[in-house]
Amino acid sequence: MPDFTSRIRPCYDGSLTLETERRSSDIDVEELACHLLSRDFLRRQRKVLQVLQGEHIFSKTQQMNLSRPERYRLGLARAKAIQRIVRRHGWDDDHYRMAEYLNDEMSPYHLHGTMFVTTIKEQGSEPQKAYWLPQIESWSIIGCYAQSELGHGSNVRGLETVAKWDPVKKEFEIHSPHLTASKWWNGSLGRTATHAVVVAQLLLPRAPSGKPTATRTGLPTATAEPKRVTAAEEEFESHGPQPFILRIRDERTHQPLPGIVIGDIGPKYGYASMDNGYMLFNHVRVPKEAMLSRYAEVSDEMGTLNRKGHPAVVYGSLTFVRGQIIMHARLVLARAVTVAVRYCCVRRQFRDRDSRSEDDEEMKVLDYPTVQIRVLPLLATSFALHYTGEYMYKLYHQSRQTIEKGDFGPLAELHSASSGLKSLCTMLAADGIETCRRAMGGHGFGGGSGLVGLNADYLSKPTVEGDNWMITQQVAAYLIKKMTEAVENREALPKDPTDELFQFYLKSRSHRVPQSIANEDGLIDDEAIVDAFRWRAADLSYRAYQARVVEQKPWTRLMIQLHSLSRAYSEQILVTNFYNSLDSTPSTLSEPTPLVLRTCFRLYALFTLDSFASAFTLTNAVSSDTIYSLPDVILELMADLRPHAVKLVDAWSIPDWLLDSALGRSDGKVYEDLFDRAHRRNPLNRVTFDPRWESEDIVLGSGDGGRQVLAKL
Amino acid sequence: MAPTPDWVKQLKPSGPQGHELLAAERAKSDLPVEQLSELLFTKEVLQKKQRILNVLKSEKVFDKSQNYFSGRTDRFEKALARAKKLRNLRVKHNWDLDEYRTATELISEPGPYGLHDSMFLITLREQGTPEQHEVFLKKAKNYEYIGCYAQTELGHGSNVRGLETTATWNSKDKTFTIHSPHLTASKWWIGSLGRTANHAVVMAQLIIAGKSYGPHPFVVQIRDLKTHEPLENAHVGDIGPKFGYNTMDNGFLLFNHYKAPHVSMLARFSKVDPDTNKYARQGSPSLIYGTLTWVRSTIVMQAGSVLARGVTIATRYSAIRRQFQDRDAPQGEKGENPVINYTMVQMRLLPLLAATFALHFTGKAMMDLYSENQKQMNQGNKGREDPNQRGAGPEETQSGSDILADLHATSCGLKALSSTIAAEGLEMCRRTCGGHGYSSFSGIGPWYADYLPTITWEGDNYMLTQQVARYLLKSARSVLANQAPNNDTTRILTDFRSRSEIGCAFDIIGSDSDIVSAFAWRASFLTFEALKHRDEQKKPWNDLLVDFYRLSKAHSQYMVVKNFHSALTAEETRGGIAGETLDVLRKLYRLYALHTLEQEGSEFYVSGACSRNQISLARTNAVMKLLKAIRPHAVRLVDAWAFDDWVLDSSLGRKDGKVYEDMFYRASELNPLNRITVDPYPDSEVLFKRIEGRGEGVRSKL
Repeated sequence: MPDFTSRIRPCYDGSLTLETERRSSDIDVEELACHLLSRDFLRRQRKVLQVLQGEHIFSKTQQMNLSRPERYRLGLARAKAIQRIVRRHGWDDDHYRMAEYLNDEMSPYHLHGTMFVTTIKEQGSEPQKAYWLPQIESWSIIGCYAQSELGHGSNVRGLETVAKWDPVKKEFEIHSPHLTASKWWNGSLGRTATHAVVVAQLLLPRAPSGKPTATRTGLPTATAEPKRVTAAEEEFESHGPQPFILRIRDERTHQPLPGIVIGDIGPKYGYASMDNGYMLFNHVRVPKEAMLSRYAEVSDEMGTLNRKGHPAVVYGSLTFVRGQIIMHARLVLARAVTVAVRYCCVRRQFRDRDSRSEDDEEMKVLDYPTVQIRVLPLLATSFALHYTGEYMYKLYHQSRQTIEKGDFGPLAELHSASSGLKSLCTMLAADGIETCRRAMGGHGFGGGSGLVGLNADYLSKPTVEGDNWMITQQVAAYLIKKMTEAVENREALPKDPTDELFQFYLKSRSHRVPQSIANEDGLIDDEAIVDAFRWRAADLSYRAYQARVVEQKPWTRLMIQLHSLSRAYSEQILVTNFYNSLDSTPSTLSEPTPLVLRTCFRLYALFTLDSFASAFTLTNAVSSDTIYSLPDVILELMADLRPHAVKLVDAWSIPDWLLDSALGRSDGKVYEDLFDRAHRRNPLNRVTFDPRWESEDIVLGSGDGGRQVLAKL
Repeated sequence: MAPTPDWVKQLKPSGPQGHELLAAERAKSDLPVEQLSELLFTKEVLQKKQRILNVLKSEKVFDKSQNYFSGRTDRFEKALARAKKLRNLRVKHNWDLDEYRTATELISEPGPYGLHDSMFLITLREQGTPEQHEVFLKKAKNYEYIGCYAQTELGHGSNVRGLETTATWNSKDKTFTIHSPHLTASKWWIGSLGRTANHAVVMAQLIIAGKSYGPHPFVVQIRDLKTHEPLENAHVGDIGPKFGYNTMDNGFLLFNHYKAPHVSMLARFSKVDPDTNKYARQGSPSLIYGTLTWVRSTIVMQAGSVLARGVTIATRYSAIRRQFQDRDAPQGEKGENPVINYTMVQMRLLPLLAATFALHFTGKAMMDLYSENQKQMNQGNKGREDPNQRGAGPEETQSGSDILADLHATSCGLKALSSTIAAEGLEMCRRTCGGHGYSSFSGIGPWYADYLPTITWEGDNYMLTQQVARYLLKSARSVLANQAPNNDTTRILTDFRSRSEIGCAFDIIGSDSDIVSAFAWRASFLTFEALKHRDEQKKPWNDLLVDFYRLSKAHSQYMVVKNFHSALTAEETRGGIAGETLDVLRKLYRLYALHTLEQEGSEFYVSGACSRNQISLARTNAVMKLLKAIRPHAVRLVDAWAFDDWVLDSSLGRKDGKVYEDMFYRASELNPLNRITVDPYPDSEVLFKRIEGRGEGVRSKL
């Protein structure tokens, strides 16, 4: 290729632009970074980054050009490389997780180190743990977790795979009675794993009439009533889903064992490096020990189920996982916002319409309110998520202690709060990535934005761990229950913040005056903001209680209303936690950071308020004057935040290597990088095609009449 | 992988089978599907589609089974093979332009000839002189010249006036020097440029004797016709992988003092006289702006069918997918509930279903209006204005009827609104499908990815809203000055003014036409509010951009509601379908309108178009009732969009409901990853142990 291109420069200097941006704010980036991420995290990030950057295998330059099988291959190679690095450097778990975070793709080993090992640890009996954990830790087996099926996702009780107890041979028979029973979507299963935790319906022989087949020791549980399975299995009854650990592939040939069919489910929206799999069983026999039996065990003599202990502790760890998801969501969102803020400072478009001089430079697009309104509220949201994530960790640790003491009281509050929040936060992050991507115009669509892969990989989050729309039902059911209690017993001692809110609401309902949040002089009442969010949540809870408990409306008909309720309740938590954090920041952070954080709080809260303006007015939470003045107030808040935007995203400390984005580079060399990627690193440019339609050759001079292409179909 | 064992082949999905469920859905309603399809497309078009589809299906090169698995270079290579085959078929079957477009639509992947077929040929035809038609257009029509349209640059998108590429007139040798002074001047994103085109229409700033005359189009040869290598001083290549559109070679192009002859500047509307070296304008380019209006109308209409694809898939799958038992179901009732019975799913899907029809009828109305006026304009109005007096921007042209000017200005807003509805709607459909929506086999994800750039091209959606606002402000000023031209926009603004001291009371729940009035009221209110901010309070333009965005959206929503409503009252519609069908369509209209109204509730309330109580009733009562009433017709309504399974290429959206069978088939039989056996242990350097059907080892791909 002729190359006069190495000499030419962009019209505006991106590095200079970002330097100017950084000079316009006095925020101490390092201080804020430590506040958000901790010194340990930052040190670890630097250390691990240095090692990964040194290995060619982690270079991302070609991955967007690869086909699916190639992407998986690369994913496996990287997963192996990380294992070897961990051993070489003697890294602990935190370092390993940092490596996974920086490697930034779903590793084919992911399930081995997460759900697989966690399930064995939490659901295995002591002998089972003693047998399996050493093999897992030495990687002589590689595991996955097989719960979802082709026909069933979130509803565990609907699973079709069965584990039938054979009372004569004292073993289980695992079987897939239908096509929809096929395990599906299970990560690491498709090509990688040798073992799987399989969740299956436990079938036990029906006892001669009168005798129960299940006995319980310890605390009672809320399991479904035993249900009949199919006509052919009249003599068996189901005891609900139970986890089994199974060997699924031969250690040497790595082929599936007889009676088991396994494969990868094919390409997806993201997760190209992960082999999400399917699996079917044809009457596969496994020993009694396969069933993980910390909480339930089949007795040899009677073929009955003995339950022991309380599996509620498990929900505790699910809550912790959700806390992690939120903390991850904030970093993902921060990443998208980092790219958008930096690029929108470098990118220029049109001169100001009010400008009088032809010589004025084109405006930075971040100075356009239409761009600000998309990007800056998301910047504020990343902080909102942060303070709630912190609160969740705290809540988890507090509840953990009381649960272990045998007190399950706060679990409901914890579980309810975490599922709704997880749903909201992942949605905010997923939608936020897409909003940022679009705010960047055409280049956002290109591979050089760095958000293309992020968007695809992150989009599954709203569905894993329970579909966001379904999970909100749990929150609403919980709130209706709480409101019913509060109505029925107005004088009871509040057990948790929700009780307090509801009692306050019921007392002041009759004489509520809608809040005025901002006045015309631009003064904003922060406490009134919090009050408005809390009031809306309480009022919507009360309406849901009215509709369901008093008027007995059908549940399905209320679902939409209940979804809004869940969202309002979670937003109330985000706003309250953000607000509470403002009190403590001035002591740890130097000016102007606490002030800027307060602006972020207001922007997040008022932007949200404006988006749901009609719900806030209909519930009498805020006055209509407030709604009318919001657009102007928001515009001013954005103007206040604007000079600090670049430094705020800098504080999230996302390394350029992780961003993998021409647009989001911290040095602002946007166009140089875009051009470099297109011109020097693009494999398509190594091929000269024959574009004339009369010629059947696709590659110029190949003389194969296009046969090579047909062979690939 | 071992061949699929018999016991697997014999497995069926549990419970009621997909085809039974869809049959039950279709039995719930007696909506005449064919009749409705014919109302949307006409019988003739449907037959033509079927005929072309049969031809395409019989050609192996169009086989889609490996599309979802391939890498970038393979995908492009296949797309080129398809484009060539398509051209061959066109010659062989003597297809006209319309048939050729239908075929492209059915293949529904962007192809390497895409920009040649559209913008390149159109620009040559519309902006070239007869002499230039002789030099360029003839060969282009023959595909000897394969072209593209190079406007956007690395540093500049929507703002044509900011382009950096220059074309400097050399009076000595009567040539132009085309040059890229900066890296950001590089042409970028140009479809068909990366590997395919040998010519390009290049938009560059014309400079004569040191003076700039703004952007003009030049036809430039960029590659050798035989070797297909770039010419000297033209540097060209593909820009790399993208979110979608990976079958297209979007390209970059830089010039290093590249010499082009005088004939290369397309000179129908402006030219450089080679003898006097003077610049001159001639004729009126408003026909071109007409073309832009036409392009936007097609985007609006396509948005309906683009979204309909996603809605078809999600609706059919929601009728089959079951999840959780109904909380209120009687004890002992078996089986989980098809998710389409959940109001939460209905709330997401059915308003989108309504939107597909709303957009379709709006696009159609715009195109009708456009052709009507185009005809009138070609008859009268010729040479009315002095070409040297006009400004460069489309919104500043005066020619043509007031109605066309109105249509042009408002089409920007509609393009923005409809493509945003379609793109966001598709993503909503994908998410409504739960986990399986995430699989490529859902057919929605890849489709969404290819559609997304529409939001940005032909003007970024957010930037476009400024043009609409500017136009609306101008119209409002003319209304205040009593000098308003006669068109729809000024009519609603005048109505609003005349009632400003009386107020309004629209019966949005009881009357279909009052809904239109309420939308008109809110749009007018926002227009005069914005005008107050700008003219009285003298707020800076920049501070008003968010207001303008809302204003444009409000006005476009009014247009959609109005057009949907008039389509339902039109003679053509009422004559073509049975009364019951019309009734369902009317419910869709009300659902679309009230759902939108409820979403934008605070603007309607603040403007006084309706009361808080009405909005509350719309939300909790009217919309819920409509969902319930439309629900039984959902599957038949999507059937009426008449997508062939081959076009949908989706497991979840299959017409016969064999969702799970197809998912499994694609995963187990079509998936190349399953031909690979790996070595999974971290201590072994071996990655792929064995690949079926391939002898040689795996090459390094890094």
